[in-house]
Amino acid sequence: MNGAGKTTTIRMLTCLSKPTGGEAYVCGHNVSTESALVKKAVGVSPQDTAVAENLTVRENLELMAKIYGFPHEKRNERVAEMQRMFKLDEVMEQRAKTLSGGWKRRVSIAMALISEPEVLFLDEPTLGLDVLARRELWSAIQSLKGSMTVILTTHYMEEAEQLSDRIAIMVNGKLRAVGTLSELEALTGEKGLENAFIKIAEAPEGGVNA
Amino acid sequence: MNRVLAFSGRNLKELLRDPLSYIFCLGFPLVMLVIMSIVNQSISPEAGMTIFNIENLAGGIAMFGQSFIMLFTCLSVSKDRSGAFLTRLYASPMKSVDFIAGYTLPVLALAVIQSVITFAASIIAGAVMEASTISAGGALMAVVVLIPGAVFFIAAGLLFGSLFNEKAAPGLCSIIISLASLLGCVWFDAEGSGGVMLDVCRALPFYHCVKAARMATVLEFSGIGIHFLIVAAYAVLFSVLASFVFQRKMRADLS
Repeated sequence: MNGAGKTTTIRMLTCLSKPTGGEAYVCGHNVSTESALVKKAVGVSPQDTAVAENLTVRENLELMAKIYGFPHEKRNERVAEMQRMFKLDEVMEQRAKTLSGGWKRRVSIAMALISEPEVLFLDEPTLGLDVLARRELWSAIQSLKGSMTVILTTHYMEEAEQLSDRIAIMVNGKLRAVGTLSELEALTGEKGLENAFIKIAEAPEGGVNA
Repeated sequence: MNRVLAFSGRNLKELLRDPLSYIFCLGFPLVMLVIMSIVNQSISPEAGMTIFNIENLAGGIAMFGQSFIMLFTCLSVSKDRSGAFLTRLYASPMKSVDFIAGYTLPVLALAVIQSVITFAASIIAGAVMEASTISAGGALMAVVVLIPGAVFFIAAGLLFGSLFNEKAAPGLCSIIISLASLLGCVWFDAEGSGGVMLDVCRALPFYHCVKAARMATVLEFSGIGIHFLIVAAYAVLFSVLASFVFQRKMRADLS
């Protein structure tokens, strides 16, 4: 839902915003008191495309690898890995500002991944992309499964169904339900994520009746 | 240090790939140098006006060029703050000191190169017009003496870039660039006019920056120390202020 607090949650979990209350831990590290350790463990691709516009794709990737302190050989290795994983060959030497929205998103996610994070946060990664670009990005995100935890926010139900092992539904800053698609369907007695989502979102705070 | 060098490299590339950097940081000061040299040739010696003699003009134009470095620092910071790229870097292990050093180092290198080119062009212009009194040693000393001025302008750019958005920042910097050339006595002789104007000029760093550069150009070091120190003091003050404000703004961006 719009204004549910998805981006704010990601910002807090990646140490971009200070929580006003409570505690949160990422990979066992407190986001308020151990931000340096949290920052090393996470990668984030913000909602807006976060690339250096006047640098080439290769330079953008190298920049992030340098910032995370990778030595020369490891850096080249990671850049080559990202190039292969996101099929960036044709745009590697192109400046980021000349890329389409879909390519920029792919580069943005590759930049978040180059540091080998344990947890990758993707904030509405397919927002504004056409169908083809979205499908290509889905395939790239799916290829990450098994190698790290990916937390992805989205408004698209089909995207959540396709990509997620577990789905969390957030309303007014609170997680109303968390589970697999079949668990959410069982919880609401509805078929399909969209129906389950509507039932959860419209239910009064405190419970959903199947 | 790796993070500083990586971020500096990125900022340098962004600057060098922007054609406006060449036009404003290099082209405009050099054009002014040529125009003012031509103007100087049409002034009769009896007028006793020496402000546009190449040994005076070079230092003034060099300071004028540095003021554009402020504009570009300011634009880099304000542009980055308005986009998501900085958000990504805030979520990385980069610290505020890495950002400040990363913004400062490339433009400082650019400012020194700009001064070297301005003085090299001044030596050539002087030779062509058969009026050169700038030695290579004088030019070199002037470039060194101008470094605190460069630091001051960069710190001012960092400060305004942290405080204002990319729409407001260029306008403000344009006003300061105009004031710097006016109150730095690049185009007129404040000592000749005296009065309140001279007092105002002396209260600000621009006049002292130009004065120190002009003295170094002709290898006149008697009394240069006070001008150098005043500019250095402004540079330190603005650097501290810019660092403080940048860190505050970074924390505010993260809240």
